[in-house]
Amino acid sequence: MTPPFTHADWSAIAPVTVVAVAALAVLIVDLFTVQRQQRYVSIGIALVGVFAAAVVAARQFGHNHDAFFGGFITGGFATVFQEIILIAAAGSLILFAAIGPAQRVAGTTAIMLWSASGAMLMAGAANLLMIFLGLELLSLGLYALCATSDRKTSRESALKYLILSSTATAFLLFGSALLFGATGSVRLADFTNPMLSSNPLFWTGAGMFLIGLVFKLSLVPFHTWTPDVFEGAPLPVTAFMSVATKAGALAVFARFIYASLPSGVGEALMLPVWIVAGISMIAGNVGMLAQHDLKRLLGYSGIAQIGYILVALAGTTPLGLRYAIYYLAAYAFMNLGAFAVAASISGDGEEGSALSTYRGLGLRRPWLAAAMAVFLLALAGLPPTAGFLGKILILATSVGSGYLWLAALLIVGTAISLYAYAKVIRLMYERPEGEAPRDLRPFVPLAWISAGVCGVAVVVMAFYPITPSNVLPLVR
Amino acid sequence: MPLVLVTILLPVIAGVLLYALPRSDRLISRTIGTAVAIVTFVTLLVAGNGEWSFRWLARPFTAAFHFGATPTSFWIALLLAVSTASAIAATRVPRTRDFVALLLMLEGTMLGLFLARDLLVFALFWDLMLIPVFFGLIGWGEHPVTAWRYFIYNFAGGLTLLLATAAFGVIYGSTDVIGRTGAHFAGGWAGWIYAGFAFAFLVKTPIWPLHTWMPPTYSGLASPMVAVVSAVQSKAGLYGFLAIGLALMPEYVHAYALPLMVLGAISLIYGAVVALVQTDAKRVVAYSSLSHLGLIVLAVASGNPLALKGALVYIVAHGLFSAALFLLLGFVEEREDTRSLLRLGGLGWKNPRLAGALCIAALAALGLPGLAGFAGELVILIGVYQAGYVWAVIVALVSILLASAYMLRLYQDVMNGPPVADLPVRPDLTWREGLAVAPLLAALLIVGVYPAPLLHP
Repeated sequence: MTPPFTHADWSAIAPVTVVAVAALAVLIVDLFTVQRQQRYVSIGIALVGVFAAAVVAARQFGHNHDAFFGGFITGGFATVFQEIILIAAAGSLILFAAIGPAQRVAGTTAIMLWSASGAMLMAGAANLLMIFLGLELLSLGLYALCATSDRKTSRESALKYLILSSTATAFLLFGSALLFGATGSVRLADFTNPMLSSNPLFWTGAGMFLIGLVFKLSLVPFHTWTPDVFEGAPLPVTAFMSVATKAGALAVFARFIYASLPSGVGEALMLPVWIVAGISMIAGNVGMLAQHDLKRLLGYSGIAQIGYILVALAGTTPLGLRYAIYYLAAYAFMNLGAFAVAASISGDGEEGSALSTYRGLGLRRPWLAAAMAVFLLALAGLPPTAGFLGKILILATSVGSGYLWLAALLIVGTAISLYAYAKVIRLMYERPEGEAPRDLRPFVPLAWISAGVCGVAVVVMAFYPITPSNVLPLVR
Repeated sequence: MPLVLVTILLPVIAGVLLYALPRSDRLISRTIGTAVAIVTFVTLLVAGNGEWSFRWLARPFTAAFHFGATPTSFWIALLLAVSTASAIAATRVPRTRDFVALLLMLEGTMLGLFLARDLLVFALFWDLMLIPVFFGLIGWGEHPVTAWRYFIYNFAGGLTLLLATAAFGVIYGSTDVIGRTGAHFAGGWAGWIYAGFAFAFLVKTPIWPLHTWMPPTYSGLASPMVAVVSAVQSKAGLYGFLAIGLALMPEYVHAYALPLMVLGAISLIYGAVVALVQTDAKRVVAYSSLSHLGLIVLAVASGNPLALKGALVYIVAHGLFSAALFLLLGFVEEREDTRSLLRLGGLGWKNPRLAGALCIAALAALGLPGLAGFAGELVILIGVYQAGYVWAVIVALVSILLASAYMLRLYQDVMNGPPVADLPVRPDLTWREGLAVAPLLAALLIVGVYPAPLLHP
């Protein structure tokens, strides 16, 4: 009897496997390590695993191959998303090494790696079961990670995330079931049948599936969990979550709308999503204005940023997809960088992400403040950063495909957002008055290096706009 | 390395490197800063009309880091280099090193703007040049709210510019068009694109009713920086009208000339009348700027070739005298700790050199023949008259009359009259301060007597 899956199938998910195995290795090696060294050994192994996975994934860039009967498709698209997720994982692991708790490091590290492997699975998933598998692997890990801190808000954050995210998953699952009912297949490639465009079951299923995704992307009106969860979760987890969840969900979303809808369905079905994206750009940025906590601020910021990315996808043009990926990569660096700075200032356990901590930072930690200013300006879309170029590319796409109203909303949202980002910058550089803020953390080399790397990446990407070419076709 | 690129990068890199100096070293950072600004001036002269280009984007439209002076931008760039050198030499603020670094970066970003030959690069530097001023307003401004107003107003303009640029690129395939001969765009969306550009330019200039960010910014910002901002940054919008509006899409400038003229005329009168009643010396100059720049908007909107030549002369002239006025009023404020016209008075008795310098700058601003302001005003008025806008000429003449009133009032309230008893007596203009404003005053005289190079670029 021949095994149902060939060697090529297994090597297609090699990057995912490498990450998952690295997690096992972390747990096993941890048993034989003295406690003093546990933190660095665990995270060292994890980083090696992440790096190996990145190399393996990069080798698949040019090879379009559908593994597991079209369940998982390798190629440029999957590779790029996997690399972004791996960058997020590496960045967060470094922050864990820098400021994480000394206890239970191996467990948290392993869970984060498994979570990352779930997101990586979503990057290549092309059938409903694989999508669900990846999503659950990602989410289950995150529920646990949210609760790893000793603070009370951490538990609250985990519970909130668990309940709301499960609701979203329920939508997604129910939608998947209806889609299967309508099409008799779980493969996204089979959904392009033009007969389906008159099938109400298909419309309902696709709608519920999209609601589940929109929740994961945290667009308005399914966004309220984001700031609370971001605030409560430990800082490295927030950093990971803010990028990896979005990347995973966005990969599925893009594959679904680009390649899995019968002709004629797309525009009508997606219009509500674009409207929601438009509202998110405004609401997310307005929400930022009232925040006094950096993590909450970045949570709201993420709501708006994902709206910008969806604007690029609105025309479902090949170039739009490339620019969305470009902006996502840029966003990953800006966000990870901002979290790295936050980690260098105040660790987990203290109420350190309060914006008041940043008062006068420009005088006391000029380099950190400068890096933070770069990240905030990038998030606001100012030059010379990838945020600026990303905005231009997105605007060009939306103008080209006729979604002028989305471009206009993007402009309005960006103008609002500047106020919130510049508020933080002002706090950092304003002449200190009144009582001196509490002492800052001493030099945290790992977080500083991480912030520096992100800062360089954010600036360099503006001048060398590399957008991945080999991202289509998405299903076969 | 091409000189034009050196010109732009030199101040920026020098500005960043300045942070390596010890924080307290005022003299060294000021000297280095002035030297860098002078070197930039020289490289600019040597670079002349050299060009440099490096491909940036291939999709969704082509764009390039393409730099090179056009006849118009060359003179504005020179003005920028001169006023920056003067401003740095005149700097006397706490944390000098950081301030000088910001001034150098401001110079570099604005040079990038004026030398850009690509719309996208233009838009990039448009946003970029706001950042040093924003930091200046946070660190050395009087009230933090000013920083918001400045940043958000101008960023909003920058965003419409960005949207218009993106649309331009998508529709015409390339943004590498500034200064390209024969480039001409009309029809379809071009009108809307022009509207996007025009909004950004009008906010930046500024023009009534989009000017509300300007008076607090000009009066609250530290003098050396406001000298550069009012001298050069405010010209970015006018340069945009010349190099993008009139050069690339002239139909729309002509078609919408009347609304533009009306806004220009309102600014002319409104600025002049408000300047007349201000009690803050820097605000007088701020509102006078609003009025003077309204005159240039009139010239641009008229589209008359002679008026456009006059516009360039007046752009340079206004840059020179407003920089000089702000620097000199800064010296007054450093000496007396106030710039209220109600409290100041009689400084001329003890500070004859300061009074003389302020007198020259004020006379240039009110358009005395022989100084640069007059040369520009006269040519503009003739041109606008030729274009048939007699009412605009009358409005302009009234405002010039008012200019005499508010400029003389400013001078009189600060320098003339009996010495005020409770004001501290401080030494007259020092060597450093004198050398800082001397190039500006000398240039005012030279351009006033011999404006030909500017009229026939």
